[in-house]
Amino acid sequence: MSLSTDRAPQAFTFKGGMLPMTVMELVSGDPEQIRAQLASKLSQSPAFFQHTPVVLSVEKLDEPHLALERICAVCRGHKLLPVAVRGGGDPVRQSAWALGLGWFPPQENRGRSLESVPPVAAEPVAEPAETVADSAAEKAEPAHASKVYRGTVRSGQQVSAPEGDLVIIGAVNAGAEILAAGSVHIYGALRGRALAGIHGDRNASIYCKELHAELLSVAGTYKRLDDIDNRLLGANVEVVLEHDQLCIARLG
Amino acid sequence: MAKIIVVTSGKGGVGKTTSAAAIATGLALRGNKTVVIDFDVGLRNLDLIMGCERRVVYDLVNVIQGEANLKQALIRDKRIDNLHILPASQTRDKDALTLEGVEKVLDALREEFDYVICDSPAGIERGAQLAMYFADEAVVVTNPEVSSVRDSDRIIGLLSSKTRRAENGDTPVREHLLITRYHPARVTGGDMLNLTDIQEILSIPLIGLIPESDAVLRASNQGVPVTHDQKSDAGQAYVDCVSRLLGEEVQLRFHEVEKRGLLARMFGGGRK
Repeated sequence: MSLSTDRAPQAFTFKGGMLPMTVMELVSGDPEQIRAQLASKLSQSPAFFQHTPVVLSVEKLDEPHLALERICAVCRGHKLLPVAVRGGGDPVRQSAWALGLGWFPPQENRGRSLESVPPVAAEPVAEPAETVADSAAEKAEPAHASKVYRGTVRSGQQVSAPEGDLVIIGAVNAGAEILAAGSVHIYGALRGRALAGIHGDRNASIYCKELHAELLSVAGTYKRLDDIDNRLLGANVEVVLEHDQLCIARLG
Repeated sequence: MAKIIVVTSGKGGVGKTTSAAAIATGLALRGNKTVVIDFDVGLRNLDLIMGCERRVVYDLVNVIQGEANLKQALIRDKRIDNLHILPASQTRDKDALTLEGVEKVLDALREEFDYVICDSPAGIERGAQLAMYFADEAVVVTNPEVSSVRDSDRIIGLLSSKTRRAENGDTPVREHLLITRYHPARVTGGDMLNLTDIQEILSIPLIGLIPESDAVLRASNQGVPVTHDQKSDAGQAYVDCVSRLLGEEVQLRFHEVEKRGLLARMFGGGRK
């Protein structure tokens, strides 16, 4: 949708978009504590930390004067890019603007609180951010950064598609890990860990020809091998997120 | 120009050194000029298996550090003229090996030999990575057991990323699966992983299957590579393995429970 009506060549157009965005819900304003937790997360899932944009949510914090500049520096040090702040009072808003960050008002009437998600999610929990541009927005184009990997993903190896779907033509062996912002498709046996929707896409899913997964995760909700019904082992399945629960269904 | 073949596994105690010695012996018996190098600096064993421990003067580390030349360090096998052994040092550790040093030694050996067999140490650290770095082919030794299979899987991953061929984008290292200590009766009983499962998980071509055998233990303790024991099943299995390495097609043996003859059953004789 174009906002300009004159005939001069356009330098840009404004478009609205619903982009998936990771929200970093701060429970503590202490930069050192944040640094420590980020460092441990980074070692668990390095693929997540690739200049990933995040919105810092301070709704749960009761500190009028937040060390926002230091928190942002800590985030950037761990390859997270704070792009905006959500919630907080006027001082927080002013310092966000001063740091070149956007500011969103606190989110009201939230139906689902973050506590409904398992506390030890394998991936940071994320949810879609508010509309970024005007309301007369066209539907955002989906990211087409899918990745195809041919061959066996072996123990100790990690394959990730940080922006799109991941297709594995081969097996994923025990001790291997595959991650995708979108869905994961495995044309072979899945014996390792598969994580879909790592930036919080709850519509992401996992497909595999032969299920023996060590871990399945969609948008942070996960199941371990122990939690999977024995009768589904070895089956050709689809794994989707329904009502905050992973559902595994046979295919074909 | 020699082919460099690394014998590796990740896990320890699966039969790397036994296999390296047996394969090197088999290649030499087929008329190839062969040298086998012990990369297990600090825990050298190859000289014992090859039965040349009393003739070690200089070793790989001495050559790399310029304290001896290759000719002084190479030990000629007392049974086969065209087989040589380059022992490891027992007193140093793996930090004594350098990439440049290993390259220099291998380049020199390439000129003179048809096959250079590198006996890798266990693990995935420096020693193992140096042993595989310059390889053209790899023999991945695996026992029919889950932890061994997983470690082999890890090593195969490293072969496709941490070798010179991988880093330069050349044709990848040719990988071969060698299953050792296979016990068909215990596989049938479900105590061990079967051949098909292992092949399915590791998905690299099978070069050989060595049955669990008393002959291997006997050979190790006597310092005579088991390939020389042509009466034994393990000895024959290594000969088959060498033939396949040389590109011949050989029917797989020893992977099924042996049907014992009437006499053997009556008198309790079995495979020795």
